[in-house]
Amino acid sequence: MAKERFLFFLSLLIIGVIAACSAKPAASPAPSESPTEEISATPMPVSPVSDECIACHTDKQRLIDTSAPVVEAEGESKGVG
Amino acid sequence: MAPLEPWEKVIVDNEKFSQTDHGEKTCIECHAGVNAAEKESAHTDMIASPSADPQKFCAECHEEETANYANALHNTQAGYWTAINTRNGNVPEDHENLQEMFGNHCATCHTTCGECHVSQPKNVGGGLFSGHVFETTPPMTRSCTACHGSRVGNEFLGKNEGFPGDVHFREARMNCVKCHEGAELHGTADSATAPDHRLSGAEEPKCTDCHMLSNDGIDMHQRHGDTLSCQVCHSITYTSCDGCHVEVSSKTGNPFFETEATYTTFFIGRNPLQSEDRPYEYVPVRHVPAAPTSYQFYGENLQSNFDAAPTWVYSTPHNIQRNTPQNASCEACHGSVQFFLTADKVRPEEMTANQNVIVSALPAPVDLILAAMPQPAEHASLVSNSCVACHEKGVRDAMAYPEDHAVYTNESCSSCHVLPKE
Repeated sequence: MAKERFLFFLSLLIIGVIAACSAKPAASPAPSESPTEEISATPMPVSPVSDECIACHTDKQRLIDTSAPVVEAEGESKGVG
Repeated sequence: MAPLEPWEKVIVDNEKFSQTDHGEKTCIECHAGVNAAEKESAHTDMIASPSADPQKFCAECHEEETANYANALHNTQAGYWTAINTRNGNVPEDHENLQEMFGNHCATCHTTCGECHVSQPKNVGGGLFSGHVFETTPPMTRSCTACHGSRVGNEFLGKNEGFPGDVHFREARMNCVKCHEGAELHGTADSATAPDHRLSGAEEPKCTDCHMLSNDGIDMHQRHGDTLSCQVCHSITYTSCDGCHVEVSSKTGNPFFETEATYTTFFIGRNPLQSEDRPYEYVPVRHVPAAPTSYQFYGENLQSNFDAAPTWVYSTPHNIQRNTPQNASCEACHGSVQFFLTADKVRPEEMTANQNVIVSALPAPVDLILAAMPQPAEHASLVSNSCVACHEKGVRDAMAYPEDHAVYTNESCSSCHVLPKE
């Protein structure tokens, strides 16, 4: 009886493995030559810029919030320079 | 040009910049500082203008331009010193005061690589002009005419009320670098031949680089091409200035200047810089705001040699037109006293300084020129070029010139009495 139960579970396991293996290719998208895949295959360039610098200097509101107050220098020049 | 908001001056268009060669470097590689989120920490020891040290930051890729730029006028400002030293007489004791004056008022016009190619010049408030993308061709109004605005820019763009802009801009939308190419602006490799003034050395650019005169069929080009600069016939009224004085404010400690007057003129004068490169007898002249007391704040008699340089200077107005009042006909110019810098138009205290520029004898009326006796053919082989030497008193059977010729200069004889053509 124990032997039959062992063979039964072994059969189930084999069937399960075969089913899993046969289902996988169908679930995966077929290999394609789309540009998207080519790009993803290429190593992404390391960001050439320092993140904190760029994070601030591309954020208009942050630049406004952190800009030093503008001190209007009293211009005493007269005439065309 | 409207002033930029502080954020506008420093915002980076990283989408574009990161695609450029300069974008391959990190910010810190050029600007130093620290990669930190908080502004003050990030800006620790930051270098705002890396190209102020071009050898360190630019030469690696732009070796030739960097080497040449060391001798370029935008970098050396040698033209300023030529004028300052000439009017000072190169007095060694004055140099410290003049150096201080120069540092306060003139050095702000010094231009770095970046101030043409990535940002507006500091002199006009600075600020990135294309989100930190480096421009091979500097944008004209935000770079070139941002500094060269009150005269060249206004003339070229037609901003002087009542006077059209330069035909090269109006008709062809040419920008500055169409004529003033990078090679000219970047300077020369040889420091020995580096210009000490914008008009020293070869004429560059030359109108005739594009406009060939030899076979254009225009009679006036054949008659006057060697004796008049192109601008004499083809420029119109332009700006002159008087009496610039510089000081440091006792209130704010900031340097400032004051000019006495700005006005428009068009005067043809004698060429004070006649040379093989600029052989013209006549050129348009512009009054520069130099005055004997311009630098008085910095010391007495700092321009003790004031008369050594004219105040009406060789000018190249940037408002070229095909048709101008003076080239409307021969008679429009010949005999038209209003176009010429005659002595009555020069301040008495500047007469000596301008003695080589003042036109003492107007070109003769055309009918007189046409009636004038040509020179005999054998004059072509004369060693002396002094007509007066023989014709003043009739030496060697030469005909003495009539009394009414006394107003003409020796150099002007051949403009009426021409050599017969071979």
